[in-house]
Amino acid sequence: MLLREVAYAKPESLAEALEILAADDGARALAGGQTLINVMKARAGSPDTLVDLSGLDDLKGIELGADGTLELGAMTTYSEIIASSEARARPILGEVCAQIADVQVRNRGTIGGNACTNDPTNHLPPLLAALGARFTIAGRGGEQTVPAEEFFLGVYLTAVGTGELLTKITIPAGRNDGFAAVTLGVDGTCVVSAAASLNGSARLALGCVDAVPVVLSPSSTDPDAVRQAVRDTALDPPSDVHASSDYRRHLAEVLAVRAIEQAQRS
Amino acid sequence: MATSAVPTERAISVTVNGTTYDREVEARKLLIHFLRDDLDLTGSHIGCDTGNCGACSVIVDGTLVKSCMLLAVQADGARVETVEGLAAGDELSKLQQAFTAHHALQCGYCTPGMLMSATALLRANPSPSDDEIRKALQGNICRCTGYWNIFEAVKAAAE
Amino acid sequence: MTSTTIAPEKTEQQQEEWKGQNVPRKEDWRLVQGQGVFVDDVKRHGMGYIHFVRSPYAHAHITSIDVSKAEEHPAVYGTLTGEEVAALTDPFFQISSVPGANVKDYALAVGKVRFVGEPIVAVVAETREAARDASELVEIEYEPLDAITDARHARDEGVPTIHEDAGGNLMWEGVYEWGDLDAAFAEADKVVKIDELHFHRFNSTPLECDGALVEYNRGVGQWTIHTNNQFPGFAAIMMGPAMRVGLDKLRFVTQDIGGGFGNKITSHPQLVACCLLARKLNRPVQWTEWRTDFHLSMSHGNERWFLETEVAVKNDGTLLGFRTKALDDAGAYLRYEPLGGVIWAQVTPGMYKWQHVRVDFTQVATNKAPVSPNRGYSRMQHLWFTERMIDIVAHELGLDPVEVRKRNFIKAEDMPYTTPNGCVYDSGDYAKMLDIALELVEYERLAGRRAEAAAAGKLLGVGIGSTLDSGTNNFGQSRLINPELQFSGNNEVATVKLDIFGEIVVTLGTTPQGQSHETTASQVVADILKCSIEDVHVRSGHDSYWNSHAGFSGTYASQFAVTGLGAVKGATEMLRDEILKLAGVVFGGVPAEALELAGGGVRMKENHEAFLPFMACGAIINANNAGLPEDLDVTLNCRYVYRPPFEVPDVERKYGNLTLTYAAQIHVAVIEIDPETGSYDIVDYAAVDDCGKRINPQIVEGQVMGATAQALGAAVHESFVYDEDGNLLTPNFYDYHVPHALDMPPLKTGYIESPSPFTSLGTKGMGEGGGAGIHAVCAAVQDALREHGGAIVWDSSNPYHRVWEMLNDPSKGAHVQVSEA
Ligand SMILES: Cc1cc2nc3c(=O)[nH]c(=O)nc-3n(C[C@H](O)[C@H](O)[C@H](O)COP(=O)(O)OP(=O)(O)OC[C@H]3O[C@@H](n4cnc5c(N)ncnc54)[C@H](O)[C@@H]3O)c2cc1C
Ligand code: FES
Ligand code: FES
Repeated sequence: MLLREVAYAKPESLAEALEILAADDGARALAGGQTLINVMKARAGSPDTLVDLSGLDDLKGIELGADGTLELGAMTTYSEIIASSEARARPILGEVCAQIADVQVRNRGTIGGNACTNDPTNHLPPLLAALGARFTIAGRGGEQTVPAEEFFLGVYLTAVGTGELLTKITIPAGRNDGFAAVTLGVDGTCVVSAAASLNGSARLALGCVDAVPVVLSPSSTDPDAVRQAVRDTALDPPSDVHASSDYRRHLAEVLAVRAIEQAQRS
Repeated sequence: MATSAVPTERAISVTVNGTTYDREVEARKLLIHFLRDDLDLTGSHIGCDTGNCGACSVIVDGTLVKSCMLLAVQADGARVETVEGLAAGDELSKLQQAFTAHHALQCGYCTPGMLMSATALLRANPSPSDDEIRKALQGNICRCTGYWNIFEAVKAAAE
Repeated sequence: MTSTTIAPEKTEQQQEEWKGQNVPRKEDWRLVQGQGVFVDDVKRHGMGYIHFVRSPYAHAHITSIDVSKAEEHPAVYGTLTGEEVAALTDPFFQISSVPGANVKDYALAVGKVRFVGEPIVAVVAETREAARDASELVEIEYEPLDAITDARHARDEGVPTIHEDAGGNLMWEGVYEWGDLDAAFAEADKVVKIDELHFHRFNSTPLECDGALVEYNRGVGQWTIHTNNQFPGFAAIMMGPAMRVGLDKLRFVTQDIGGGFGNKITSHPQLVACCLLARKLNRPVQWTEWRTDFHLSMSHGNERWFLETEVAVKNDGTLLGFRTKALDDAGAYLRYEPLGGVIWAQVTPGMYKWQHVRVDFTQVATNKAPVSPNRGYSRMQHLWFTERMIDIVAHELGLDPVEVRKRNFIKAEDMPYTTPNGCVYDSGDYAKMLDIALELVEYERLAGRRAEAAAAGKLLGVGIGSTLDSGTNNFGQSRLINPELQFSGNNEVATVKLDIFGEIVVTLGTTPQGQSHETTASQVVADILKCSIEDVHVRSGHDSYWNSHAGFSGTYASQFAVTGLGAVKGATEMLRDEILKLAGVVFGGVPAEALELAGGGVRMKENHEAFLPFMACGAIINANNAGLPEDLDVTLNCRYVYRPPFEVPDVERKYGNLTLTYAAQIHVAVIEIDPETGSYDIVDYAAVDDCGKRINPQIVEGQVMGATAQALGAAVHESFVYDEDGNLLTPNFYDYHVPHALDMPPLKTGYIESPSPFTSLGTKGMGEGGGAGIHAVCAAVQDALREHGGAIVWDSSNPYHRVWEMLNDPSKGAHVQVSEA
């Protein structure tokens, strides 16, 4: 509890937000606050200024394109995704969002915040990576859109630079997706997670086994091939109180197969 | 400290259980501390420092949130509902009555947050299934009851 | 969600009594409205907020402390350092004999830190935030030392000493031996040897952490300590001598407590710091412990190893005796310890007829948070061990765990049963309880369910766990730890009075944390005074100024239903007799036998028209007493001290009755393991309880459920894990996963009632028996693995990764050898 002193701004436009961020290296975006406020409680991080994004309409809303492409504003909450009929075009999104934490966290936590945090235990980075999502980043110099491989750079580190904001996440059309995880308790924190998408070729992303989601494309959806593909990535997962490196490596194989199987059934 | 001209304090106006409070607060103050320390509404509790326990759950503009992960300044202009507002005078709400009837509380520390979560559930879904009840209460830790009686109470209040 | 309940058939006609009924709780009215008063709700004008600067090191010398920058912070009122504490107070009294007796423990670290999170400096400021800001300005220099985190190596050659004053890391040791071990092992057909078993560290993590608001009255030199400490009697005994003041200078006040489970007994160091600061700064001071502070520093449950265990057993599964080396990890200080070194002996043989037992008990210090009581204190560890032995023996001898239990159970007809160490089990029928539990999970269908699970790729396991919830301590057992101690017996107080308008007002010595004392006390009072529970006002909370507390007052160790209600009953009967006596005088010399209580007053048995309401009684004695006979010794304000019948135990033989009542629990868990991941679900669960007469069955059942949930959390996810440097890896609810709503398995409950012959209401203390869940889950995991490598469960904590490890490599289980004797 008990945050360090901090300044607070609630800009009304994206331009204004970018300006405040650009003016102060120590300014940080505040989305749902479901990670950032906790980091500040622990005083593990202490931004000088919080830029509350909740007033930015540009970052809100879910749009379903005619070709089935989904565009999700960075400030879309998990609850909004779960309730959205547009988002149901890609059912896995709502299904996974419904497994994140609890009602209260889902009511505030945002897809953009989840991606920008890139905590290895978060559900969405591997899912978005598997779905081939693209991330639109706005800065004062303009906008750029990057794929997952270029977006997730490290633990708590993404392509969103100082003074920039993630504005939206674009997910191509598709349906055959799966997600599997071993969690601490039912729908708890991920110990290892795997997301799969079978639209065209098979695309897998593994969570909690490296600083960023590990993306791979197994040659086939045959369980042995999937296991081999995971083995071929020569994972060196971290050990911690919830799992040894060996256990994580093992779970990655098991969950990769299960995510693929779910994708096949969907 | 902040190099920009962005202030670290703000005047806010928050309506809690129908009463509007105008206060000057530090931006760093959490909504839960604002409710408990500044407004003396001590019904909402604090059980953790990581956003896990839900003892601080309140309803802000119709949405259930944990008030330890929201700054008081973010609630500027909002309508906040807390446990103190559940009963109508001396008349306990249906949920409050059911919690008593089903022995859904022991120490009572989690109860205010639990009641707010259950209240939000029943508003959105007046006749939830057993699974929906569990899912709705997942964000509220109780260390005394093992939850079973809480499920029964919510079910009874819904019927 | 539905729970099935098996209840015994009603034998006698239900009487018109409050006792035995599920009356709604008196506490709930305020609590469901957020109108409880918990410690952090108490505020005083001008109060300062305390923030403790805590150690980042597990073990280090403090070479310098500089608080000057913090003191200069504009919002700071002042600070307190270990140096000041050492000058102003004496070290806390130690329960231990030497070497633990030589440990010097103060309110703040003095010269050295011994665990991560240990308070070193207290900073007080105008706001909570400022106190923390300023605490970052305190400059402390350390000279780090190696940390000891593994109790098994605490006494190795060359390891650093945590308490130099104790001359090493051994805190306490004692040998317990009863019966004839040589004869038992000679008689045995087989000896089962188990190299290592480990009971892990966790606690019940009450949702409210510790806290206090302390005011100092300079004029009379007295502190008022608003705190959620759950055993103020103990806190006072610790604090008074350390602060060099009489106990009357320490007034403890509490209303509502957000859970305790034993974890709120040992906050006395922080309370002393608060007292010193209130006096030093001449203002009320407030301390709120946050979750991470609590996890880092407060009341971990006893971690215990059982080494080189040997069990003497006949081929048919008859258990003769066992010996083991119990190694208890006390953490960095002895705050209630080494009482854990004897408390287990209350339940030495568990539910079984072992006759020959030897336990070499050793307690060592480590650089981890201090341990103190946790629901099931010290008995849970030992009962886990006895249950582990049973299931390991059954596994190794190829016997059915149900049969081994039934063969060895102490039987109903053996009650009261004297254990090999002189404890007297009051009543119970364990075999019957087991049958009920097995019936609840449909044990006879198990083979079929195992096959169904296998078809779905799952490994099904079933496990039994039992506990004895020994309640109402004989504090004489402390003498087995330290013969010098002058404690024995137990007591609790209640007062019941009739006020001027006839109100019945009850005060208790206890400090409930959800155990519904206001409700059950009113049930007992209403039955005796023949009134409604609505007419009985039980004061909420505790205030040591009410003269309603005794040396052992508090809420701990499963005793309210015996001691607390025993006191309530005693005081109410005194009041009843006084009312009858007074009415006899008012009616013109009618003997008490001709009168009875009814309908909120007294009447003549033969003439109900002759009625004196309580209101008149209260008014006469309190406000209209002229002309009453001089020798009428009636005050209508009755205080009763309940004192259970105990003897001082025999210190030489470590023999004697250590507790009054033995509630019993038998749990059965059915689990399904996913063999690919090691994760598992509890798919069926039964908890059967026997706590004698139940005053309020719903409240009893609530305790059973809550304790069960805690046990299941501890069995699967909850664990205080340290790394080699002494950092706690599970310092908050993010990594320390406590069960939430979706984690709860379906629960089935059952009960029997074996009234205690030793208590005035036939009740037994209860509430701590949930540990059975841990034992049951361990047994179920082992059962599920039986055909899949057959690893033996060796740890009480079985998170998924451990289960997977055992599946993957059965040698990761306990190492067990069976030899022909
Ligand atoms: C009890 C609990 C349990 C949880 N369990 C899970 C779980 O199981 N799985 C899971 O995935 N998550 C979990 N979370 C985390 C939760 O999902 C967070 O909501 C998420 O990690 C961050 O999203 P947010 O919107 O709250 O972002 P914030 O906390 O507001 O921000 C997080 C970070 O992202 C930055 N940021 C946010 N939005 C933008 C943007 N648009 N542009 C640039 N930077 C931005 C912020 O500056 C900050 O650094 C849990 C949280 C809690 C409290
Ligand atoms: S105090 Fe808010 S979630 Fe625990
Ligand atoms: S009733 Fe005590 S935490 Fe829920």
